[in-house]
Amino acid sequence: MSPALFSQLCALGSSLVLITGIAILWRHSLAVYIDYFARQSFVFVLVILGVAAYAGEAELYLVAAMVFLFKVMLIPRILRRVRRHVGVDIEVRPYVNVPASVALAGLLTLIAYAVTRPVVEISGLPTRAGIPLALAVVFVGLLIVVSRRSALAQIVGFLVLENGIALLAILATYGVPLIVELGAFLDVLLGFLVMQVFVYRIRETFDTIDVDRLSGLRH
Amino acid sequence: MLLVALLLLPLAAAVPALVAPRYHPSIAATSAVASGAAFLAALGLARANLRGDVPSVGPGDFLRADGLSAVLALVVSGVACVSLWFGAGYLERVRDHGGLDDARLRRFYVLTNLFVATMLLAVTANNVGVMWVAVEGTTIATAFLIGLEHSKAALEASWKYILIGSIGIALAFVGTVLGYFDFVQRVGEAPHALHWTVLARASPGLNGDVLRLAFVFILVGYGTKAGLAPMHTWLPDAHSEAPAPVSALMSGVLLSVGIYALLRFKPVVDLAAGPEFARRILLVLGLASMAVAALFLWTSRNFKRMLAYSSVEHIGIVCLGLGFGGAWGVTGALAHIVNHALAKSALFLLAGRIRAAYDSAEVLAVRGLMGPLPRTGGAFLAAMLALMGLPPFGLFTSEVMIFGAGFREGRTVVTALGLALLVVAFAGLLRTTQTMLHGTPAQVPAHPSAGAWPAVPVLVALLLLVLTGLAWPPGLADALDRIATVVRG
Repeated sequence: MSPALFSQLCALGSSLVLITGIAILWRHSLAVYIDYFARQSFVFVLVILGVAAYAGEAELYLVAAMVFLFKVMLIPRILRRVRRHVGVDIEVRPYVNVPASVALAGLLTLIAYAVTRPVVEISGLPTRAGIPLALAVVFVGLLIVVSRRSALAQIVGFLVLENGIALLAILATYGVPLIVELGAFLDVLLGFLVMQVFVYRIRETFDTIDVDRLSGLRH
Repeated sequence: MLLVALLLLPLAAAVPALVAPRYHPSIAATSAVASGAAFLAALGLARANLRGDVPSVGPGDFLRADGLSAVLALVVSGVACVSLWFGAGYLERVRDHGGLDDARLRRFYVLTNLFVATMLLAVTANNVGVMWVAVEGTTIATAFLIGLEHSKAALEASWKYILIGSIGIALAFVGTVLGYFDFVQRVGEAPHALHWTVLARASPGLNGDVLRLAFVFILVGYGTKAGLAPMHTWLPDAHSEAPAPVSALMSGVLLSVGIYALLRFKPVVDLAAGPEFARRILLVLGLASMAVAALFLWTSRNFKRMLAYSSVEHIGIVCLGLGFGGAWGVTGALAHIVNHALAKSALFLLAGRIRAAYDSAEVLAVRGLMGPLPRTGGAFLAAMLALMGLPPFGLFTSEVMIFGAGFREGRTVVTALGLALLVVAFAGLLRTTQTMLHGTPAQVPAHPSAGAWPAVPVLVALLLLVLTGLAWPPGLADALDRIATVVRG
């Protein structure tokens, strides 16, 4: 594969990861959030496989397998189970409405392009075109967390943010050293498992997972 | 060897708590003994550093304890020792009043030991990626500890903590990746490229613009963990809802572990991008933290929240010291980390005692506690005076060093603002302490007797604070100076 074609494919893959993230902002249903997160992770797996094949980095196949196993299969399955248990589907009244949050996502993408300029400039890798997009995914994940009231939606936001970071690592450096990669993966998985336990507990205690109702702690 | 022992001891202490069929006091005793042994190991590391050695183990010095690591390891294991020693009696009392059951008591020992182990790994890992993994590990280990007593408020605090903490730390990973990227671009794929020692050696040749971007992410990320405003919003909830021994560890040392992580990156960025960049951000965040804390110290009606906000204030002061720079600023900041750990852990343990006695953490509910609880009240007053930065306690000395550095480095406006905020915070703390301790007792404490022996660790902390305030042991000043040169790059 020629470097130019590979570079374009990377940019395309990263754009798809970003678009699936922004699509979450578009919708109101938790079930759809989870589906989109699974799709985003799947596109991300394809990007990793592409980089692995092009760069000949054997470690990346392992990373791709792990992302597929956990972020495409296992985590969405757990999320769906939590959602069924919680029983609510429609995310009523997000803090920021749909047109505003999509516009914000666009703005954040521009900011991502602006701040990553020095990074793209000095990068010698054909994957560099995707770097600003990866950072935009991080920002969009952050936006999902702060603009949604449901604890479950906030978890999805965190996972999207995490995908953005992992994508950034792959595009900027073909992945961080394996020990760090594995450790980071374990942390995210454990963090996710802890968070979903808390969703159950919040539901039991407050009878809702609307975090707006968690406001007993003042001063 | 000492390094391995330091990390394995708390891990080993978690095992009996994990496998025991039910809680038994020997679980608490094992943890207390193991934490004491870990403290001795940390002392050994500090001694090696005083002799001029830098202990390290593993391929590419996987674990490494230079002076900075040794100081943090001492503080972490010391406060862990105090908390676990005190915690044994405290938690059994809470259980006897029905606040906990045996299963949760057992869980406390599993998670607290893991929490301590992750903090010790964070301060001794040479690889900044592994350091990141360990810092994130602290969030996971503590998430269930905050809600140990299962109240609505604790659940809310835990959710905020795990969500904000995980996101903050994820942003620190962005910074770490960008730093690694810069290194790989300049130096190429080197073995152990993420090792701090390797990064620091390569730093003069790195790209300043990329590292500036990386440092912003690292500062927001680890700053969230350190409780710097405006990323501090989780802190007052988590620190006030957690059981006393956990609050002592979180407020006393976990915040400093966040600062430590920043300090590992600061010299790298200073060499590549010039020292002014990091200093300015640290000064702004330091002042912001002090301002937020000073405001809330006047309005909090819960004394554990007051202590939590005071931690935001002191982390702000530490940042000012680092931002002023110079020998005095950095040495003062390091000394302040140690002093604050001593004072704050003692205060949270005392606050736990008071809360257990009255079944309340409201200032007004415990008004006039000097009458029914004169000894606890007296110790609380002494520790509060230390926290406010009055002589003869150590915080006075380190604050003088930090603000002195501000004037010496010509940052008159920032220093003056910092001092003004210090006075506002001081007055707020004094007012609340006055209300708590004096006046007509609001009520008779429900469970007044606590026995004298849990007070011993608190007294030890206070005595050490007098020591750091009046006379530094020989060699300490030199040692801190040497560490300061590492931090300054």
